[in-house]
Amino acid sequence: MFGLKSFLAGYTDRISEDSHDPEIRELAKYLKTRSLSPFAQSIHVRMVDGGSPNDVELEEGLTGSPQVDAERFGIHFCASPRHADVLLVTGPITVNMKQGLVKSYNAMAEPRAVVAAGDGACTGAPFSGSYALVGKGTIEEVVPVDVKVPGNPPSPYALILGILKAGAVLEQKSAKLRASKK
Amino acid sequence: METTQLKEKIAANAPSGMKFTLREENETMLRLECSPEALYSLCWACTRAGGVFDSAFISNSGKGAFEVSYVFRVQDADRMVAMCASGKEFFSISHLIPAAIWDERKMQDVTGLKFGRMADSRALIFHPEAGMPDKRPLSQSAIKESEIDKSYPMPGTGAHGEYEIPVGPVHAGIIEPGHFRFHVVGEPILKMETRMFFLHRGIEAFAEGKTFSEAVPLMEQISGDETAANSVAFAQAVESACGMDVPERAKYLRTVLLEMERIYSHLADLGGMATDVGFYGASSRFTLLREEMMRLNKEVSGNRFLRGLIAIGGMSRDIPDDALSTLSNKLKRFLAMLDELQEITLSSSTFLDRAFSTGIVSADIARELALVGPGARASGISCDARVHYPYAAYGKIKVQEALETNGDVLSRFFVKLTEVRNAAAIMLEAMDKMPKGAVLSKDSATASDGKIGFGWAEAPRGSCMFMVEAAKGGKIRRLACRTASFRNWRALEQAVLGNIVPDFPLINKSFNLSYAGCDL
Repeated sequence: MFGLKSFLAGYTDRISEDSHDPEIRELAKYLKTRSLSPFAQSIHVRMVDGGSPNDVELEEGLTGSPQVDAERFGIHFCASPRHADVLLVTGPITVNMKQGLVKSYNAMAEPRAVVAAGDGACTGAPFSGSYALVGKGTIEEVVPVDVKVPGNPPSPYALILGILKAGAVLEQKSAKLRASKK
Repeated sequence: METTQLKEKIAANAPSGMKFTLREENETMLRLECSPEALYSLCWACTRAGGVFDSAFISNSGKGAFEVSYVFRVQDADRMVAMCASGKEFFSISHLIPAAIWDERKMQDVTGLKFGRMADSRALIFHPEAGMPDKRPLSQSAIKESEIDKSYPMPGTGAHGEYEIPVGPVHAGIIEPGHFRFHVVGEPILKMETRMFFLHRGIEAFAEGKTFSEAVPLMEQISGDETAANSVAFAQAVESACGMDVPERAKYLRTVLLEMERIYSHLADLGGMATDVGFYGASSRFTLLREEMMRLNKEVSGNRFLRGLIAIGGMSRDIPDDALSTLSNKLKRFLAMLDELQEITLSSSTFLDRAFSTGIVSADIARELALVGPGARASGISCDARVHYPYAAYGKIKVQEALETNGDVLSRFFVKLTEVRNAAAIMLEAMDKMPKGAVLSKDSATASDGKIGFGWAEAPRGSCMFMVEAAKGGKIRRLACRTASFRNWRALEQAVLGNIVPDFPLINKSFNLSYAGCDL
């Protein structure tokens, strides 16, 4: 087809510790130390928008871009919370969206992890104190949070690193779950 | 058009004996005042005089009284015409102007007023079943339990064999929350209703009492990919209220930022349309271009979403000339890639078959709903604020409006594709003509108490409109904001009629409205 090679070749970022991008360097460092358990290597993510101004969603969409390509890290965005290991929540959480978030969280199977993505989800900024938010607007007010990814909005690589860290949390939770069943 | 001429034109269309007075005017707006009973007729007269409904605002004038303003864009008037009335009782104008119903439901929600003769008075911005605030943002008294109606009926058409498909608020894709209720028989959609405002963060009320510069970061959070447009429109409203002069270089830089935003926002829509027909070859290339543009944004402005640059009175910092020349070099390469991509997409029969004649919005419906932006231009309605109401540096740069006539998904695809090209041309011209000098005005950002300013910008999704009422000490007394998404959501309800359910994501993507931008 029309120059498929010329168009896509050479665009995927190389993940190495001597990259010019500090976020890629950090990711490369993390990948060296990461666990090799299946949970940490194949992570299915469901995102719920709790009240962000669609910027974090756009960055999540761009984790699938040919340059970043989240699937090479084993990260897959799936359609339902019932399929998901990780719930990626953006915020600040609004009163109107609280029920949607709670239902999505309850639909997930154990073990599960929650990533709060963006400044809004972590701190409620900049609308903390508005009448339309749940409490201060942090995700923690509604569901337990395992990993926080700050940023206004966090870049695709920061999101990927956050999701990979959630994978490590999942592994611990899974070990605990197995131990409790014995 | 002169003020007196405009007044005469409206008076000629008004019923005899109706009185209205000129209350205030400046270079961005003209306010006519009448009694609440006459408001209906005055709005009708304005429509007859060529006015297109733009937005409706309400503010609290104390002692249980409110002031309602209906804002119209009148052809050749170069500014907004607001019809306002103060009182305790108002009547809906949505029988005349169907576009106004959401605005009126929103005004009811924030004040607790009941508009007379409302065709639909369900709660809009609040979801009573999820919880109500202690008091409404524009009212002093607490909400009584008795005035909360937790039902939200979404009736179907009553056709034999009809069934409902509820979708959302959490969707399957990486998108924002909204609820869609389809009423279908088999595949074709008989009726669709949207329920929005899951992302209602109360931005308008939250901004009250803040200083103008404190509010700029809030405006950047209305909708992520309309950061520049919303903050420029807000800054212009404040500058108009305060009578500030903005340096020429800042105006040109704002123009460049607005067009950069249009490019990356439209690339997301174009790629999304390719995704939704299952044409991943084209969509991954569009995503590739979009990520390249985002990185270019960061290189030029320091932020992938162009945040932190717009300030009241100009720009918070200058963009150096060498960054601008990098931008213009990369743009030329980008345009070559876009040409290749257009060929790939439009030579695919899969794409053309799905996009052609899908999700038609007729010109009549577009006019009834007062649509703005690419959604209206695809139906042949000329409504580009950059052409009709120039702001920033658009008056000095050639802007070509992209128009199509079919009103289907393919037309919207073409409009957006042409706008991406035009945006690149505008940027190159603006960078070519870029004047030297300061980027921040020396005037102080203060206005006398109660002074009102209007500001608008053509965001990627259509024009947005801000009204700022100043308080003492450079603070905001009241902020009202109408985004393109708020105006255009109802077009989706019309566009899907008669189409099959699997085409809904494609039609939705062809408008690509912002949920957060609508919900505020």
